[in-house]
Order: sequence, then C-alpha cells, then structure tokens
Amino acid sequence: MKHYEVEILDAKTREKLCFLDKVEPHATIAEIKNLFTKTQGKSLKDEDVLQKLPVGTTATLYFRDLGAQISWVTVFLTEYAGPLFIYLLFYFRVPFIYGHKYDFTSSRHTVVHLACICHSFHYIKRLLETLFVHRFSHGTMPLRNIFKNCTYYWGFAAWMAYYINHPLYTPPTYGAQQVKLALAIFVICQLGNFSIHMALRDLRPAGSKTRKIPYPTKNPFTWLFLLVSCPNYTYEVGSWIGFAIMTQCLPVALFSLVGFTQMTIWAKGKHRSYLKEFRDYPPLRMPIIPFLL
Amino acid sequence: MAAAAATAATKGNGGGGGRAGAGEAGGARKKKGPGPLATAYLVIYNVVMTAGWLVIAVGLVRAYLAKGSYHSLYYSIEKPLKFFQTGALLEILHCAVGIVPSSVVLTSFQVMSRVFLIWAVTHSVKEVQSEDSVLLFVIAWTITEIIRYSFYTFSLLNHLPYLIKWARYTLFIVLYPMGVSGELLTIYAALPFVRQAGLYSISLPNKYNFSFDYYAFLILIMISYIPSPHHPFPFS
Repeated sequence: MKHYEVEILDAKTREKLCFLDKVEPHATIAEIKNLFTKTQGKSLKDEDVLQKLPVGTTATLYFRDLGAQISWVTVFLTEYAGPLFIYLLFYFRVPFIYGHKYDFTSSRHTVVHLACICHSFHYIKRLLETLFVHRFSHGTMPLRNIFKNCTYYWGFAAWMAYYINHPLYTPPTYGAQQVKLALAIFVICQLGNFSIHMALRDLRPAGSKTRKIPYPTKNPFTWLFLLVSCPNYTYEVGSWIGFAIMTQCLPVALFSLVGFTQMTIWAKGKHRSYLKEFRDYPPLRMPIIPFLL
Repeated sequence: MAAAAATAATKGNGGGGGRAGAGEAGGARKKKGPGPLATAYLVIYNVVMTAGWLVIAVGLVRAYLAKGSYHSLYYSIEKPLKFFQTGALLEILHCAVGIVPSSVVLTSFQVMSRVFLIWAVTHSVKEVQSEDSVLLFVIAWTITEIIRYSFYTFSLLNHLPYLIKWARYTLFIVLYPMGVSGELLTIYAALPFVRQAGLYSISLPNKYNFSFDYYAFLILIMISYIPSPHHPFPFS
C-alpha cells in the first residue's frame, strides 16, 4: 500500500509545523488532525522512545534552554533548615533581637516552649522526609526558585518567631484548653501528613517515575484519599491552623492563609492532571478540601 | 550552568519552562484585541476619566483665580480627585478580565500607590492637606492623566493624533519627577503627625500578638521609590 507524506504548514506564516510520513491513503482529515495535535505542545520525557513518537522518519525536536537549575533536594533542605534555625534564634532570645535586658532569657509561658517544640518538630520532619521519604519526578527546578522560596520560608519563620518568643507575648485567651485542642489538631495533622507521604512513596518503586492513582490504605489517616486528591496539603493546612490556634498569633494565621492559597493552586493542578491521565479517577474527590475546594 | 532538557514542569510558578515537542507549532499568533462591546465600554470609561481629570484641572485654575494664591488648593478639588483616582481601580479589573493587554501586577502596583497616597496619607493626615507638596503631585497627576486617558480613547478609536502621543512621551520627563517629588514630600510631611497620633499602628502587648508601625512603614514606602532594575519607574 502506498503511503502519503503529509506536510502541515501554518496558513499565515507558511512555517512548517509538522511533517507526517507514512500516512495511510484512507486516513480522514480528522485522523490527520489527531496525529498533528498529538505532536503539539506536550513536552517529551527522558524515557520516551523515538520510534514510539507520532512523527515521521524525520523527527524535529524543539529544544529550549531552561536556564540555571538546582536540585529539588537542595532547595528543600535549604528552605526547611532556615526556619528551624531561625526560630531557635528567637526562642533563645539571642542578643539584638529584643531589648538587652531580655538576652538569653526564657519565656514564662508553657505554650511558648510547646510552640518551639512543635515548630522545630515540623521542620525536622520535613528535612527527614526530604532525605528519606520523597521520590521526586523531576530532578531540578530553576535556580532563582531557591531565592524566592527561602525568602518566603525564612521571612515568615522570623516574623512568627519574633512575636511568639517576644517578652510581651500574650498567651491564648482560652488558656490551657485552647492550647490542648490546638496541639491535638497539630499532632493529628502531622501524623496525617506523614502517612500520606509514606503512602505516596509506596505507590512508586525506587528510582522510577511511574504515576498511579493513590488509594486509601489500612492506615486511617490515608482514608482522606476518599475525599481529596492531595490530603498531604489538607493535613499541612490543618497543622498550621492548629499552630495558629495554639499560639494565637496573627502572623501565623497569615502564614497559614498564604500557604493554603499556594497549596490550593498546586492541589488543583495535581487534581487536573490526575483527571487527564486516568479515565477511571474517583469522581467524589475534590482537590484539597472535601466537597468544597 | 545551562540545562538542556526536554522536560518542563517546575514547582509552582517556575520560569523558563522547556518544551521539546516533536513539531511544535511556530509562527506568531496575532493578539486579538477587545471585542466591540468591550471597546465601547473602554471608550466610555476613558472619556469619562478624561472628563473627570479635566474637571479637576478646571477646579484648580478657578480656585487659584478666586483665592489669588496657590496655597491650599487641595480642598477645592478634594472630592473629584478622590472619586476619579479611586475609580482607576477599575483598570486592574480590565487587565484581569483581559480587555486591556497590560499586566495585572504592574497595573495594581501603580493604581494602588496612587490610591494609597490619596487615602492613607493625604486624607488620613489632615495636617498635610495644606502643604504645597500636595499641589505638586496633584498638578502632575492631573496633566498626566488627561493626556493618558485621551491617548487611550484615541487609540481605541484607531485615530491617535501625533500631538497626544508626543505629549505623553515627552511631558513625562517633567511630570514624572514633579509627581514623585510631590508624593515624597507629602509623605515626609506626614511623618511627625503619624508618630504623634500613632496612626494605623498597633503595639505589643495585645491578644493577637501582632504589631505594626505605620511610621516605619511609610519610611519603607519612601525608600521603595528609589528605582532599581527590579522595578524601573512605572510607566504605562
């Protein structure tokens, strides 16, 4: 059977858009359109095999320089180590932060010590997860991200820590009850977040980049997968809300809000790509907040 | 070190996304302008704004002639100034919706800084309203806006007289420094009154464990006027 070579040009610029050889003579225009759109826009993966690409015997690959890159692991470690260290500077009331008479003094409020433990635990957990739990699908990100990300994490950490560890700090209005409730929320959400990270890790064998639909496991914390695509973000927001209630500190609430906004954007993106990739994706699931968002 | 990669997606909002598609569509896609309804709306908007700032200009001249001096003219045009400058907030919406091809971020920045000066400085600190620096920026803004809005009006109607185009890009050389000086001097004049009254400030201790020093904030604002490669002077 004689095959056709089909060349598709842009009507206005006459630029060669696509070259398809081995097109069946009985192919309809719709099928040709299909072949054409399949070659558009989707970026190639390292694992893609040349033969399997929908191109003719002449494949044109477009190359774009991504600019200076940095590894995800490096960025995560740097952006998480900062807050851990910075918070402690304020907690120990290192000189030149508060008045000199407060240097190296300690707060008389229990909640301030508790907050330090929670905040430090949170970031130590994140550092350990970066080193031992997460499996990254992309190795690198643009270099300038590290400056942007560190400014965000380090800046907010300093801002929060300043007020929580301030000599004039006011403990929560409802006292120990409020702190206990907030601590419970925080701990549950941290456990939840960790459970999700482990579940996601187990979805993907070491060194691979396969993508599968995450499902609830025996661990009750993972049952949130029934309702949301990204329960790790849900639990993360919950942790910070817990911390905000615990410290009754407006900057913490603002940090939670900004984080929630960013995570919602990510969750929606993730949710969309799940829907695109998997035909049988559970319809009940929302991106980040059950039934709502 | 430059990375040649056929992969793209970066965490969050990463720039420089690389895409290597086999046979990527090339050629410049023509930018489609606003539709006829949007154009009509924008023409009305820009005409109204031109008229508004003309009202302010006329108001200033009449007040000057009536008073015989150029001091304290702010009071005669206070209301239309507030109304029309605040109305410019709509321009952020225009960009967000897409009927104007400017960046939402840039436009927000510019409009917010004007609105801030009108409400959070001049309106809020009554003592500066009689300062001559206020007249300085009001005149600069008035002339700039009359030219700018008529520029947009004519552009939308595809008939831009060279005079307007010339005026916009040439007078800016005088008007921009004039405006910046007026704004900075006004903020500077407001400082002692802000400090004295503790205006918009909250100090520790309080149950929200939060503090804000408006005086320090205003100083930061003044510093931000210094042009840098990161934000060259706003010019639309």
